[in-house]
Amino acid sequence: MENTSTNGVLTHLSLLEVRALSRGGPEPQRSRVRELRGEAEELRGVRDQLEAEIRARKRLQELRSSADPPAGELLPLMRRHSDLKQRLHVHHLIGGFDAVRTRQGRAVCVFVQTAYEGVFLETFNMELELKPRVQIGRHNIPPFIPLQSLAEQSHLQTDAGAFLSMLSQHLNAFVGRRRQLQLVQEQHRSVEVMESNLLCSVLVLLFTAPPEKTALLCTLKYADLGSCLPGQVHLDCEDSRLPESPEWRSCCDTLRKTPLHRALAGMKKSRMIL
Amino acid sequence: MLKTTLDKWGRLTAEQRQAIDFTQSKWALTQKLQSFCEENEVTLTRLAELEMIHVIENPNQGMWYTFQLLDPEDDAQSLELSEFKQQFKCHLSELLRQVSVKIKKHTDEAVWIRIAWGGSFSKPNHLKPTYVVHHLQTPYFFVRNLTSKLKPLLSQALTLATRHQGVKEANLSGRNLASIRDLLMRQYQHVFPTKYPSPHDEEDQPVLNQHIEKEQGHVATHRRRMAREVFGDGTLPQLQSAVYKLDTKFKDPSNRTMTEREDTFKCVVKFSSTNLLESLRSCASSGIASAPVTPLLSSIPLKGRNYFVVTDNTPGPSSQRH
Repeated sequence: MENTSTNGVLTHLSLLEVRALSRGGPEPQRSRVRELRGEAEELRGVRDQLEAEIRARKRLQELRSSADPPAGELLPLMRRHSDLKQRLHVHHLIGGFDAVRTRQGRAVCVFVQTAYEGVFLETFNMELELKPRVQIGRHNIPPFIPLQSLAEQSHLQTDAGAFLSMLSQHLNAFVGRRRQLQLVQEQHRSVEVMESNLLCSVLVLLFTAPPEKTALLCTLKYADLGSCLPGQVHLDCEDSRLPESPEWRSCCDTLRKTPLHRALAGMKKSRMIL
Repeated sequence: MLKTTLDKWGRLTAEQRQAIDFTQSKWALTQKLQSFCEENEVTLTRLAELEMIHVIENPNQGMWYTFQLLDPEDDAQSLELSEFKQQFKCHLSELLRQVSVKIKKHTDEAVWIRIAWGGSFSKPNHLKPTYVVHHLQTPYFFVRNLTSKLKPLLSQALTLATRHQGVKEANLSGRNLASIRDLLMRQYQHVFPTKYPSPHDEEDQPVLNQHIEKEQGHVATHRRRMAREVFGDGTLPQLQSAVYKLDTKFKDPSNRTMTEREDTFKCVVKFSSTNLLESLRSCASSGIASAPVTPLLSSIPLKGRNYFVVTDNTPGPSSQRH
């Protein structure tokens, strides 16, 4: 008797357990998922509505602002358009600098293109901050270019254009001097480069003069950093009379007036050096 | 590596160089080299040359510290190497009689100086030499293994020899000499805002989820571009750490006891990484560091330094590098 009653209770309990297990797990989760899906649908609907509103407003604005110009005004507009294009072209030709306004108009980023003998070389960039006063910001110009003294010399505060043109001149000259040195190393291997520096403002070359392979040391000093040509050319030789000879004097003159690689080519041709 | 160094040194005969077996142990190699040097009667200065060649070939050992020269005189631009060498040796030996100096110019226009210091009565100690690297006409020089006692002597000699009027610490240090030099010479890929975005800018990032891409795509692109503008593109110079020494008042509204203190709260924050700038760039482009990038982080590449002292009185880091 006890057994039947306990069995009854136990079976009842186990029935309840089975029911609970089959009902419990997935059910709440499934309903929650359904809820979330519903919310997502709603939100998507709201978003599509807002997007449609934005599109409609934009279209309205466009329609309001664009008024078809009456036919009579079309020709002058076209003329003005081509005039502006020409101005832009001229501006570019006379060394206009590409500039981009950055940081909501508080700064200007300028690009300085450098080229030598028709070959485009590096582009340098500089950010000029405009407020509270004109200042040099971020840039990728190497530290041996004296930016601060250039800024002072050209009064950056009052005339940014003058500063930029001076900077462009300096950078082009630097890149030109460096390119000359590269060309010398490529084209004239018989000439040994004894000394050079990053700024390419001092160059010492070793020439070998034909008859007895006399060694001549040539020092080129580029005092004016805005120029590709040396201001000073000095020759040293064991035989101190050789540099004084008229041929070598004219070579010095050529070195002062012609780009280095071409001057050396000329000297080789006239058999002054090997 | 040792073979090329020995070849460059050129103080061993061809037979001697042939006789060296580079697979031997370090001790055996050292013994062999020592016997060859004794045979050739190699002097101490020649041995110093060998060490210098090795250090020039393998500069990334030990810590390099940067100094900046200030106020160049008018003729600093036209300083020639020979004048610099002569002036430096002259000035240094005036300041300290017993000193051994070797100067060598490397192919990348770097002037390497090896200094073995002596005392008033002791000969130069060649076991702990200081190395200095300088590019003429630039305001920076890099120093390795210099004690604070000898710092003023070296600074003075270099300032005079390079025709400047002052010198200061540049607060940039690292193990990789080429990296700290590239950082200061701005020899890495900069990114500037441009009217004409290059195709590279719109490179395909793997699209993980169309929905996320649609909503968040332009924000992510903007973040990536900003990170590249601040830190640069491509491979960045390797810095190992950045240290911020804070001396500011504690500011945390939820902690009143600390905030109410009168004194400043001193603490030091150090970021370390095998390549710190790469890590910071990926922090900024992935959104871990908030955009726009805080001047505290962007000052590292902008000002070329990795040691900062932050006080309440310092105005936000200006964008000029002095």
